[in-house]
Amino acid sequence: MKLASPPGTCAVRLQGCRRSFRTPDGGVYVALDRVDLEVRAGEFVALVGPTGCGKSTLLNLVAGLLPPDAGRVEVFGSPLEGINRRASYLFQQDVLLPWKTAEENVMLGLVFRRVPREEARRQARAWLERVGLRGFENRYPHQLSGGMRKRVALAQNLIVDPEILLMDEPFAALDVQTRQLMENDLLRIWQEERKTVLFVTHDLEEAIALSDRVVVLSAGPAARPVGEFPVDLPRPRDVTEVRLDPAFGELFRRIWDLLRGEVLRAFRLGP
Amino acid sequence: MRSGSVPEARWGLRATQAAVFVLLVAAWEVASRLRWLDPFFFSRPSSVAERVARWFASGEVYVHIYVTSLETLLAFLVGSLLGVGVGFAFALSPALSRVFDPYVKVANAMPRIVLAPIFTLWFGLGILSKVAFGVTLVFFVVFFNTYQGVREVDRNVLNNARMLGATDRDLLRHVLLPSALVWILSSLHTSVGLALVGAVVGEYLGSARGLGYLIHQAEALFDTTGVFAGLVVLAGFVLVVDLLVSSVERHLLRWKPPSHVEEAL
Repeated sequence: MKLASPPGTCAVRLQGCRRSFRTPDGGVYVALDRVDLEVRAGEFVALVGPTGCGKSTLLNLVAGLLPPDAGRVEVFGSPLEGINRRASYLFQQDVLLPWKTAEENVMLGLVFRRVPREEARRQARAWLERVGLRGFENRYPHQLSGGMRKRVALAQNLIVDPEILLMDEPFAALDVQTRQLMENDLLRIWQEERKTVLFVTHDLEEAIALSDRVVVLSAGPAARPVGEFPVDLPRPRDVTEVRLDPAFGELFRRIWDLLRGEVLRAFRLGP
Repeated sequence: MRSGSVPEARWGLRATQAAVFVLLVAAWEVASRLRWLDPFFFSRPSSVAERVARWFASGEVYVHIYVTSLETLLAFLVGSLLGVGVGFAFALSPALSRVFDPYVKVANAMPRIVLAPIFTLWFGLGILSKVAFGVTLVFFVVFFNTYQGVREVDRNVLNNARMLGATDRDLLRHVLLPSALVWILSSLHTSVGLALVGAVVGEYLGSARGLGYLIHQAEALFDTTGVFAGLVVLAGFVLVVDLLVSSVERHLLRWKPPSHVEEAL
């Protein structure tokens, strides 16, 4: 087993980050303000918060797709400029290229890195097998189910061997059974590879079941982290069984006490 | 697509289509023989068929088909290349598209047929003037579709490719170009059709060869049979071109899910 980087070092650090957007009517909407967040290397951090609280914006800051208006983003100790080359990003939406087969989609990152075609193809096959899609290499995305497409996207992200994996509600659109299978697969792969994971979700149960630490974001505008909860449940975990652990229920209640207030606030403010 | 799995229904459809054709042609023939229609103005199917057969037997029609095909192909290729190039440039450079927007609108709104005489003056009576005319028709269709195709690329798809390490050139090659290609292909029938219109209309207005010339020549001699024979050859030609385009389209869009309309049928 290889370690991406020495454990304990800080993989991602946000300091006083602020990000606003222009609204269509000419105003300014502050999505995030005074955001401080640290993610240690090899840590699995879940980010929960009410809808519209800027969770995706926060991920985009770490990904380098959006620059912060103020504050700094550091990746492994150095300030981030442009796209975060040490991270990969599993989007909530379907982002596979419809004109490429599953295999061609998975090898995309290697093609961009000028890896020879045959080698890229070999690795893509191996990754498809690891995410349980052996025999589906030549299918086009529209010939795959939603869960299978997510698996392809996961393989597409992992093949470039990123040190940091950013995930934006990746399983939100899946049915419950598929979702739990995917969560377990993700945990298994994370256990083997020890990537640093920043996982955004609005589902608190999913957050606790997967992560080492749950960070609660306040309702927007000007959302920021308002609570942190270490998750001391034993690993390796099974997402279905871990929910039965009494400690899980206890943790859920504590986090929900905080989160509920933010959810209600977001609800009253409206979208 | 679905209809392939029910051959009986398909054959039924084909039989009905053939029956319609036979009925119309028979009605025309009978009406002409009974003098309900003046054969001088309306000719008759048997004469038309005889004329077409003679053209092919003597081989005199081949040079016209060849010239029209060549003009169509060139107009399509040049128009498409220009359309894709300019479409990309405009989509990727907002400044460019803002400056040239009114010019594009005016040029597109102008009835292109008025350019035909000018092109004849500039490029002569040969194939060049017809190609130029066809290009003005094809260009705008391809241009607008390319522009649209590039502009409509999903942001997340682009960001995903960027996160995976794509350079600007990679984005162009793996994301933007294929995405625009979908739009361009969806207008393939239209643009090939317009290239053909350009060729035939150009020939009709002044040339020494081509199917448009053939029809125009017959018309000048009040040879109705010749006009209809020219139309029949042209129709056959269009049908063949359309089948070719469809098979190219099927091959290039094989990754695409069948449309919902087709599924519903």
